[in-house]
Amino acid sequence: MVASSRRAVITGTGALSPLGNDAATLHASLLQGQSGVKKITNFDISALPIQIAGEIPGFDAKNYVDKKDRKALRVMARTIQLAVSGAQCVLNDTKVDKAKLDKTRFGVVYGAGLIATELPEMADAAVLCTDGTPGNVDLDVWGEKGLGVIQPLWMLKYLPNMLACQVSILHDAQGPNNSITQSDVASLLALGETFRLLGRDKGDFFLTGGAESKINLLSMTRHCLFEELAHDPGHPEKACRPFDKNRNGMVIGEGTGVIALEELTHARSRGAKILGEVLGFGAAFDQKKDGGGVSRAIEAAMKEAGISNADVDHVNAHGVATKINDRVEAQGIHKVFGDKVDVVAFKSYMGNLGAAGGLVELIVSLEAMRTGQLPGTLNYETPDTDCPVKVLNKPRAMSKPCVVKVGMDQTGQCSAVVVRAWKE
Amino acid sequence: MRKRIVITGMGAITPLGHNVREMFDNLIAGKSGIGPITRFNARKFPTTFAAEVKGFELANFVKDASRWKNCGVNSRFAAAAAQQALTDAGLMPENSNVDRTRFGVYLGSGEGIQDFNNMISLIARAYNKETRTLDNPTFEKDGLKYFHAGHESEQELHTTPAHLADYFCLEGPNYNCLTACAASSQAIGEALEMIRHGDADMMLTGGSHSMIHPFGVTGFNLLTALSTFKGDPTKASRPFDLHRDGFVLGEGSGMLVIEELEHARKRGAKIYAELTGYCSTADAFRVTDSHPEGRGAIACIAGAIQDSGVPVEKIGYVNAHGTSTQVNDRVETIGIKSVFGPHAYKTPVSSIKSMMGHLIAAAGAVELITCVESMRTGWLPPTMNYETPDPECDLDYIPNKARQVKAEHCLSNSFGFGGQNTSLVVSAFHN
Repeated sequence: MVASSRRAVITGTGALSPLGNDAATLHASLLQGQSGVKKITNFDISALPIQIAGEIPGFDAKNYVDKKDRKALRVMARTIQLAVSGAQCVLNDTKVDKAKLDKTRFGVVYGAGLIATELPEMADAAVLCTDGTPGNVDLDVWGEKGLGVIQPLWMLKYLPNMLACQVSILHDAQGPNNSITQSDVASLLALGETFRLLGRDKGDFFLTGGAESKINLLSMTRHCLFEELAHDPGHPEKACRPFDKNRNGMVIGEGTGVIALEELTHARSRGAKILGEVLGFGAAFDQKKDGGGVSRAIEAAMKEAGISNADVDHVNAHGVATKINDRVEAQGIHKVFGDKVDVVAFKSYMGNLGAAGGLVELIVSLEAMRTGQLPGTLNYETPDTDCPVKVLNKPRAMSKPCVVKVGMDQTGQCSAVVVRAWKE
Repeated sequence: MRKRIVITGMGAITPLGHNVREMFDNLIAGKSGIGPITRFNARKFPTTFAAEVKGFELANFVKDASRWKNCGVNSRFAAAAAQQALTDAGLMPENSNVDRTRFGVYLGSGEGIQDFNNMISLIARAYNKETRTLDNPTFEKDGLKYFHAGHESEQELHTTPAHLADYFCLEGPNYNCLTACAASSQAIGEALEMIRHGDADMMLTGGSHSMIHPFGVTGFNLLTALSTFKGDPTKASRPFDLHRDGFVLGEGSGMLVIEELEHARKRGAKIYAELTGYCSTADAFRVTDSHPEGRGAIACIAGAIQDSGVPVEKIGYVNAHGTSTQVNDRVETIGIKSVFGPHAYKTPVSSIKSMMGHLIAAAGAVELITCVESMRTGWLPPTMNYETPDPECDLDYIPNKARQVKAEHCLSNSFGFGGQNTSLVVSAFHN
């Protein structure tokens, strides 16, 4: 590995989540053991087998976006609205004077997922060209008349690259720009790529993270078909049980998590508060589903960071709470740490925030570093011999400087990031 | 010293051929892959033609085609092109002895195809025209009954690189980016950077995409981005021509194996070319248009050339993004002129989209492969259908006939909808 002399520090956070719309509120909710997993209230979901999720209560992008830019929200799906709102939160938090930023050195790298169409937008066209037989559509009518009753900018509202594009447009960020579409590991991979971009001098100030909402009619219906979702035991707050023997699937959540990643001298010269330093990054594919990819990603990140197990306060796990994925992840963590390092899994509180998850969870650890208080894992009651890791299930004081954040997805794509608490 | 990264394998599934050689021969011959859309009934759409991959059977390429049965064509094209590239590089799992944990994947691959017919009919069944509302439980019940779980899961955006890693045992870093039309170029650029940094020794990189489906054509037609040329569809894609009226959708996949030079040497790999320059920028202007003065494009082209260390006058060929939309071709011309200065007029530029349309996420990879083949064979592909010069597009676009020129360095541009720009520089390999 080529170590870069350019140091990457975190100078601001933005998190909209089921448990709060800033890092401090989110962190405090977790410390108190609150759950953001509830019965879905945004829309009628009564005919689906799964009716719980981690929703952001009362999210309205208008509260976050400059008045002059509100018109643009009309061509943004909820996921994209979350992305631009999160970006604005970070910019507020890091107190950057945008006028003084070199815009060509201001980059945006976001994780994103497939964005579902809001179905009523297709309805006027749909009713013109089908007799109601499932699967039967008259494409002649669709082509001739259907197109005329769909909003012209329809597609732009749902393109996954629009998270990063819209953020770059709103803030005139002309530097490197990318959209990583790697499911639940997307925002952590985005952070890793940003770390590399900054290290090789392609920019000084970056917004990186992710946003996603699958809590809509089409996504929920689709995901009920192919995803291992937690059965609703009548107690939504108990549904997501990472590494617990009685875990039975993931809970879908929504949110955005974004950080400002900035070159150290740049941050210092403007007197920015520094929350932590990104020291190392690794990614791998767990082809054999034995944790080998997870451990390689962790080892690569720790090697680059130049830290040992003794420096790690806790592993902030992906902990999605599906049978297989938790086993794979735990085995990977075990290969590196045995059962000697505390593992936390914050999805237990709010579900799987998809492309936003990795960064929202990392932000909790950043806040733990700042306050000295680390939340535990919710719903970890019965250890599982398949998951040979030491899961922390109650809050404790932070005692060591580094956190290892792990992200992965069901297919085996995984990554790890090492962040160290900042000390002058 | 910075590591040198070389291309050691290539594969392509395109509207002009199911392998690199066939595709390139057809491009040099000026053939068109564009014709009436056959994938679905598009005869009443504003645009009725596209560049489809014809007669594609995955079983002709991979041993276990049934493993890919739920996948969309995005992953199926990718599997075939990856099989070619890995075989070409001598890096299939069964006949190579490299450390596969040092072999990653970075794709710019598109989504699997949505189930248009079920989606639209089920929306209609749940919709109440009077109240203009959708009855959710009706849609939910229908959706659970009629959507196919496997096909739905395969629409997700991370599936293609995961399949390739799983099937070909590629255990290094695994990424997908989807930056619209810049995606596979950006993937190649970031894959290059991963090897330079030491995150991997080898990367399978490129892209795969098809938007030749009712939602895709609907979306682009509504944005008035597609050509609605009346007449011979092979004449519809007219990059840099005064009468250009939009792009033509294509589909396919381009895959490359790129590798750290010493690693390639040690295993005696055949080396096609050296990947020398990459840059990505954002227009930060509008979601619908590129910046009118080419702000992002200029920074991107200049950045990639600077990264390559090649003097601009040594760039012997520019493979343009050249979509055949009014705005892109004008702004791209401005960008090239701004960076190349007077040398712009001496540098041949062409757009193969004139022949095989716009492969969207996969376009950049196929275009980079075209650059490599151009350097290898000494032939530059033409811009077909270039008939009426546009005063604002006044470069040498290699009109209508391939040209025998041996370029030492090529620039390939890809500019995405939304303002994400990527440029790559590829160079003939010398020890």
